[in-house]
Amino acid sequence: MSHSTVPRSKAEATKPVEEPAASGDAAGPPDAPPRGKQGKRGKPSLRLRYRRDRVLLLMTLPAVALVLVFNYLPILGNVVAFQDYDPYISDNGVVSILNSPLVGLENFQRIMEDSAFWNALKNTLVLFFLQLVLFFPIPVLLALLINSVIRPRVRAVAQAILYLPHFFSWVLVIAVFQQLLGGAGIFSQLLRQNGHDGLEVMTNPDTFMFLLTAQSVWKDAGWGIIVFLAALASVSPDLYEAAAMDGAGRRRRMWHVTLPALRPVIALLLVLRVGDALTVGFEQILLQRDAVGPGASEVLDTFVWWNGVRNQDFGYAAAAGLIKGVVSLGLVLAANKVAHLMGEQGVYKK
Amino acid sequence: MTPNASTSSGPSRRSFLASTAVATAAVAGGMPLLAACGGADGSSREGTTSSKDAKDILPAFVAGSVVTPDIASKNGSAVGFTGKLDLAGLKTSVPKKLGKGGKVTVMAPFWGSPPKGDNAYYTAMNDLIGVDVAWQNQDGNTYDQKLGAVLASSDVPDVVVIPGWNMGGKIPSAITSKFADLGPYLSGDKVKEYPNLAAIPTDAWQRSIFGGKLRGLPMPASYVTNIVPYYRKDVFDEEGYDIPASADEFMALAKDATNAKAKRWACGDMKWTAFNAFGVPSGQEKPLGWIEEGGKLVYRAELEQYLEALEWTRKLFAAGVVHPDFKLGKSQATDPGTKFAAGEFLIYNNDISSWYGLTAAQATQNPDFEIWGMDIFGHDGGDPTLYATQPANIFAFVSKKASEAVVRDTLAVANVTAAPYGTKEFMLTNYGVEGTHYSVEDGVPVKNDTGNNHVVNAYVMVASPAPTIAHPDFANIAKGQVEWQQRMGAFTRKTPFYGMQITEPSRLTSLSNDFEQLEDDIVRGHKKIGDMQQAVSDWKSKGGDKLRDWYRKILDENGPAAG
Repeated sequence: MSHSTVPRSKAEATKPVEEPAASGDAAGPPDAPPRGKQGKRGKPSLRLRYRRDRVLLLMTLPAVALVLVFNYLPILGNVVAFQDYDPYISDNGVVSILNSPLVGLENFQRIMEDSAFWNALKNTLVLFFLQLVLFFPIPVLLALLINSVIRPRVRAVAQAILYLPHFFSWVLVIAVFQQLLGGAGIFSQLLRQNGHDGLEVMTNPDTFMFLLTAQSVWKDAGWGIIVFLAALASVSPDLYEAAAMDGAGRRRRMWHVTLPALRPVIALLLVLRVGDALTVGFEQILLQRDAVGPGASEVLDTFVWWNGVRNQDFGYAAAAGLIKGVVSLGLVLAANKVAHLMGEQGVYKK
Repeated sequence: MTPNASTSSGPSRRSFLASTAVATAAVAGGMPLLAACGGADGSSREGTTSSKDAKDILPAFVAGSVVTPDIASKNGSAVGFTGKLDLAGLKTSVPKKLGKGGKVTVMAPFWGSPPKGDNAYYTAMNDLIGVDVAWQNQDGNTYDQKLGAVLASSDVPDVVVIPGWNMGGKIPSAITSKFADLGPYLSGDKVKEYPNLAAIPTDAWQRSIFGGKLRGLPMPASYVTNIVPYYRKDVFDEEGYDIPASADEFMALAKDATNAKAKRWACGDMKWTAFNAFGVPSGQEKPLGWIEEGGKLVYRAELEQYLEALEWTRKLFAAGVVHPDFKLGKSQATDPGTKFAAGEFLIYNNDISSWYGLTAAQATQNPDFEIWGMDIFGHDGGDPTLYATQPANIFAFVSKKASEAVVRDTLAVANVTAAPYGTKEFMLTNYGVEGTHYSVEDGVPVKNDTGNNHVVNAYVMVASPAPTIAHPDFANIAKGQVEWQQRMGAFTRKTPFYGMQITEPSRLTSLSNDFEQLEDDIVRGHKKIGDMQQAVSDWKSKGGDKLRDWYRKILDENGPAAG
């Protein structure tokens, strides 16, 4: 599927490995026929394709219905962003929408003038880049590390320990952090007993972003390795053997065999992550919002929650959410474009 | 019943939006936001006073005569009962079942884990009332989130309990549009059909007027501040500390008592007490924050003493005498009460109910533990200036769609739950069934495990008697609480909008939503006092001054609250 792109680097010349990994993980739409796109020869007629694929199409129907009902239908609700929406004027959400007064772009205008929104946007972006730099590489490294462990039992135990925190709720994770690193936590008291000051990492607005990233790494980095491990498992041992035969050492094998195998997956996850850039953790931040104040902790999602659910300014919150959605769409398109330029598949193909 | 309430709010809101001159809109009679304003006839508001309008709506007051309290109410305090419980001598305040056997669903906030619907307590209550009450208990801590969704749906339970602190945003408009006018059942002498409801103080009923109609069944509260500065009396006695009588004395004591190495700090976040000590109007509810100074309405955040209180609290944090976990604010994973009991800090402020709550919780495992409330000091060592809080803050509402039978049954429930201390109905409501939920030893009712699991906060949310404090197991605490209220009540003033149910225009009210967060940022050292001054001047220009005019208009039309 990736033959349409020309290898651009030496690393990519060893490409055969890449293909199974790519088609395994970056699966295209299931109903796309394998010969669906064959250069300039054109496609089979629509009717023919329908007849050939109708069973497949039928199989996608339930999923499509779910997506329509739960993802597309609610999009219509975004109309409240242009209203002074009051959900209580009738007994039915749809009727309330129809009866709420339209205010045009007033909500958007207010957002543009709201310093709290710009602050939330700034925090969101800072946190995103921080997590991209500090969080994203860690699962890759962990996967390589785990992959290099030969003994299956050690490997299984290490993996289990790494996965485990993912299943803790944020409430628990934050409670543990507070007990350990809080101002009256174990470490602070140890420091005090030895004549130092206590820690202030849990309540310091200046370092809050690093705290969030550290918590995310602790909780989810282990979970993040699963995809990479799958990609690594699909690398044929023949390649390593061949490379070893040719005299490649450990490092060269990693550079020329392992990393190229991971490349498409990394690119795909990166694109997906960029598309999600403006979603940087909701529960985690909400739970600690009061510890550092909204100036340091407010991100777009908590901004929407605060204004919509707490202040009940639904139109305003919806407008902020809409802006977030549009910007995210732009980001994912841009990231995908970059992936294409780099010769990777991205999330979809043109 | 009140078709005008919702229709009149529609156009007014539009006219509000159309014009940025909010004051003008309000003057034009655009917003029926004041409780006492007749919703049915907008023009009749002109020249009428709230008390006159309310007179037609409010239920008559007939003091209960079934039981006499040991300590009568004074200076706005609750009534107190300090004697032993005489089980055989319990009075009956509801001689005949008023319920007609219908089914009533009630949604209410619940702190704790709710018992199963068919437990012995609910069954006994329903038998006594003659109504089949089906509870939909929701977690009290996240009630506001649930509430919004339920009120926006078509599936509103027959009765919904809403605490005042959950009435943010558009909830007041939902109350007006979704809930029934109880006036036809309760106004004037009609209430006499329900004697326990007739004994609820008029202040509390006045607060229950929403959108010009009597819609709420109140849980009356003492208007004396509910924030008590608690201290560990046992530790104070042992160490020989004196109770501080001024802001400076407090600071000196705090520095003396802190020993961080030994995991002991002097106090928690004392912001609420600081506001009281420095004479800042109550922050319990926005309308209470307005006072008249030199004929001008001023909001609490504009006052010099507000900044002084914040500065003093900031100094406490900066001096390292505050337990570090209070910097986490609401993000604390563990309850401050536990750390207080463990002696990690010696002073903190909390609701007056903690006085008894912590005492009872610690009595068996921590016999030395003694919590007591200190009198609020004036910051300069003189008498404090305190401001009244609202005389009712939790209300039960009946759905507009409910039939008359359901309304009557709900009132039957309320008439039982509002029974005064010393009656059979009160004992069942608050303690459950004798033998099943509690036993009486030496005149002290003690709940067993079943009682602690079943008899929590359900029925008490529907309506309550006049504020009552009675703890037969810790009579000295009941006495302490009532006397504290009486002493503090002597320094308590009522502000112009005391007791009124006021809904600010939503656009203007949200402007001051961020003050509380900013206060916390300042006292914890993340922001400067200057940031607050900036925020206040922004608030003024963005709509605070308009809000001032809006309140002035209400005051001119209705006069200040009685008392």
